[in-house]
Amino acid sequence: MNGLKNPRVIGTLVVLLLLALTPVVFGNENYIMRVVTVGLCSAIAVYGMNIILGFTGQLSLAQGGFFGIGAYAVGLLTTDYDWSFWSAFAAAVVGTAVIGYLSGLIALRTKDEYFAIFTMAIGFIIYLTISRWESVTHAHSGVNNVKFPEGGGILDFSTPTAMFYLVFVVLLVTVYITFAIRRSSVGRTLLTIRTSEDLADAIGVSVGMSKQLAFAASAVLGGVGGAFYATVVGFIGPDAASVDKTFEFLMFILVGGMGTVAGPLVGSMIVTYLFEFFQDFQAYRFIVLGPIIIALVIFAPRGIVGYLGGFVDKRNRKKRVEAARSEANSKSSAPHDTTDASASTHAERTK
Amino acid sequence: MTLFIQQLFNGFALGGVYCLAAIGLTLVFGVLRIPNLAHGSLYMLGAYVTYFFLTTVGVPYVAAIGIAALVLFCLGILLERLVFRPLQNSPHTHHMIAAIGAMFFFQAVAQAIWGADFRRMETPISGSLHILGAEISAQRIVIIVTAVVVLALLTWFIKRSIHGQTIEATEQDRTGAALVGINPSMVAMLTLGLSALLVTIAAGLVAPINLLSPTMGDSLNLKVFAIIILGGLGSLPGAIVGSFVLAIAETMTSTYISSAVGEVIAFVVLVAVLAIKPTGLFSKAVQR
Amino acid sequence: MNSVPRRVGRPILATAVMGVLALTATACGSSGGSDSGDAESVVIGYTGPLSGGGAAYGENVKVGLEMAVDDLNKDGLEVDGKKVTIELKSLDDKYAPSTAASNAQRLADQDKAPVVVSPNAGAIKAIQQINNGRSKFMISAYTSDPAIVQSDNPLTMMIPPNFESYAKPFTEQAMKHGGKKLALMGTQSEYGQQWTKSITDAWKKADGEIGSDNSIDYATVSDFAGPVSKALAEKPDSIFVGGPSQPTALIMEEARKQGFKGSFLVMDQAKLDEMGTVTKLKNLTNAVGVLPVKEYEDPGTQDFLKKFAEKTSKDKVATSETALNYQSMAIIAKAIELAGTTSDPEKIRAAIPDALSKVDDKYKVNGFPTEISDQGHLKNPELEATYLNDDEKFEKFPVEQVSDSK
Repeated sequence: MNGLKNPRVIGTLVVLLLLALTPVVFGNENYIMRVVTVGLCSAIAVYGMNIILGFTGQLSLAQGGFFGIGAYAVGLLTTDYDWSFWSAFAAAVVGTAVIGYLSGLIALRTKDEYFAIFTMAIGFIIYLTISRWESVTHAHSGVNNVKFPEGGGILDFSTPTAMFYLVFVVLLVTVYITFAIRRSSVGRTLLTIRTSEDLADAIGVSVGMSKQLAFAASAVLGGVGGAFYATVVGFIGPDAASVDKTFEFLMFILVGGMGTVAGPLVGSMIVTYLFEFFQDFQAYRFIVLGPIIIALVIFAPRGIVGYLGGFVDKRNRKKRVEAARSEANSKSSAPHDTTDASASTHAERTK
Repeated sequence: MTLFIQQLFNGFALGGVYCLAAIGLTLVFGVLRIPNLAHGSLYMLGAYVTYFFLTTVGVPYVAAIGIAALVLFCLGILLERLVFRPLQNSPHTHHMIAAIGAMFFFQAVAQAIWGADFRRMETPISGSLHILGAEISAQRIVIIVTAVVVLALLTWFIKRSIHGQTIEATEQDRTGAALVGINPSMVAMLTLGLSALLVTIAAGLVAPINLLSPTMGDSLNLKVFAIIILGGLGSLPGAIVGSFVLAIAETMTSTYISSAVGEVIAFVVLVAVLAIKPTGLFSKAVQR
Repeated sequence: MNSVPRRVGRPILATAVMGVLALTATACGSSGGSDSGDAESVVIGYTGPLSGGGAAYGENVKVGLEMAVDDLNKDGLEVDGKKVTIELKSLDDKYAPSTAASNAQRLADQDKAPVVVSPNAGAIKAIQQINNGRSKFMISAYTSDPAIVQSDNPLTMMIPPNFESYAKPFTEQAMKHGGKKLALMGTQSEYGQQWTKSITDAWKKADGEIGSDNSIDYATVSDFAGPVSKALAEKPDSIFVGGPSQPTALIMEEARKQGFKGSFLVMDQAKLDEMGTVTKLKNLTNAVGVLPVKEYEDPGTQDFLKKFAEKTSKDKVATSETALNYQSMAIIAKAIELAGTTSDPEKIRAAIPDALSKVDDKYKVNGFPTEISDQGHLKNPELEATYLNDDEKFEKFPVEQVSDSK
């Protein structure tokens, strides 16, 4: 499974390359640039969700809230307090890390469905705080004229293309981090936790601390996504922190593929396109979109990337089987690589 | 003091509504082990179908609720058969997204059929009672009484009737239940149908004191989830206690502190309880 | 890979998914250049809540726009010597500002819409970030929040009166028919809270007394009895209410049921006649509010109501959302005609003052504006509001308009 021969790595690279070319093709289409850039911001947050969900199997539904905290940190600090974007951004990272860590302390005591609904409650409390704490957040009036990132005189991030590449680079860093985590000992630890927490505990893996870190990291990425979302859109309202946002993210993950590197990105782009495409149906679009969503999770439970990955696995297995046969020593196909999350996701918690 | 009594009754009425909605949800969780996020939209559809039979067809109020409950019972079965059954071997994340898809669909359909405008459902029950200086409308008393009666019937159904016992058996031990010849997919369908039926009764009772709109289930949805988590997933007594505790906490805090606090209180209580007891008040051994 | 069922259905599904994606890609790619084929039409964009909690409101606005477009196309529109038809393109934003801005961008980019209508202050603020830079288009802004004209966006046209104008006359009327003590029960939306603030100031200025803030979210409260009991426990003479018409009506009905005898101050979002569709008008008497459309005496009002009744179901009441957008669409069309261009929003905006006096009488239905302020606010100097008296009759009283600046 090494380097450039791995079809998964190639696939991921192709997706990234295609995206990198977007401004070349659509540079003058403000609408497409906007939708894609907003999609990338969501993708960053979705990667955050993927850390905790894809690697530990715990579903955090507070991500919309963390996204909102990041967005409001940048929004409020660059307007009411006149900070520069980058210092506000740093504050957003620190803020979500602290809040993420603290809520993780309680949230991680719970498991499975309790964890999911508990984090949903956390997300909802964040949303209610933002939408009701009028003296600080301006509640439903929202925050207007959020600053663009300062380019230090060299770069002008107020153009859609520059902004796109900025967010894109941040996303690349995010993807790299996800990839690196998966390869690192922490990543293996997380995957062990997903397979069996009791086992992990028994063989001496520090379950609590690993989960705690994963949760904080996932919150930070949510905040980073929100921070860039605020500057891309220029105006934010409480809907940036709503529970609907979380479900949107969850949809991105599932459509793209849980626990895969390219999944969240592919999912974000595809679902964003689907939603925009069906705009022409106006009020009736969800009559079509609802069943499509259901069909996707039923028929492609491992997401699009996982689905394509399935072909790769099949081919690999065939190769291995043939190799084994030719050796005329059929001890049969090798068991699966444990790091191969995309393939084993489906079997999760079916026991 | 009058205000306190008044709000206590209002709290009980609200608790009755939460209770009827929460029990179905917790039953579904106990048997199918899925958090059905489409529950709020079943509530909404239940209200609209009741409205349809009451206003457009013109049958009496109680009959309209009854017919609507049967219609929703069938819809619940369909939902299980078409959406949740194919996902029975998937992790619960998939159920959540599928349920959201169903929720989008139901809302859009309701808007396409009945329009986006608020609608009002008239009720034949009018008048009010004076109790200790407080003024309680008859509709709210009906809500409280119905909730109690339905709860009693449900307990009887689950403890005494053969179909109900299959539900309880499956809830307690799925493999064991299957071994003694209980068909788990029948039980799953029955449970989802039952939850849709119960939530329709809740909707039919509340609709006259509120308004119908395609999004009426949204705010109830989150609260009901808070309730069943608070009580312990799958636990009937937990859902009942959780409903009344949260409803009364909600009315009292919005009366004596502020309405904004009243709105978050359900979730604050939830966070506090789970911080101390991570599996809810009345948790049972989690099935693995 | 323990369990991977349904091998058979997958290739079909994969094909289907890919097909949808391909369609999407082509749709996004090709619609950009679609303007060349149909040179005789101009698209007016609309982004509003067409699904979700605000859908009823968004639909009301849309009906007004559609009615106007139908009528205008029947009359025929001539721009620079060519016949042009107006096409209304509506997109759903679910009330989310960022979606509204994406939609507006799409309407301006892909459909070349010179004007985009939006009925929500947050959305308008988000759209104002993008309508006067790389893309240029005019916003026809249906919100009574003056913040949107305070931002000095040169391509914004604000349609309804500034809501702050109502606070003082409403206070006077409510005190006259009620008393000095006010309970606050407005909705928890952005707009509701602005109203609450504005009424609080005016009420205090008139030496009135204000109880605690009982604002509730009309959309999420499932039983209004509790909040009403709480507000009445303060023994108020007047109650400030308001949000969408129907829940507002329920709150007033509940207050009357619980024995409240004083006056109501009704925020302009709620329309007294529309409220009459869910409760008896009797429950709504002794209330101060905005004037129902049917009480206007503009030259086109009666015809408009007739057409509205034909277009919608019988029990629906025409509200100012529909009527004001109906007449403002006629203003936009006239301005396009006078400017002689369907593509230059700056010229269209510049032609609006002229257009106001040239719009056909039949489009004047709901206090037709006679002037537009430098900041882009359409104004009718003779603004009136109403007091619904005990005989269920709408008494009119004049409203003096305040300045839009901060």
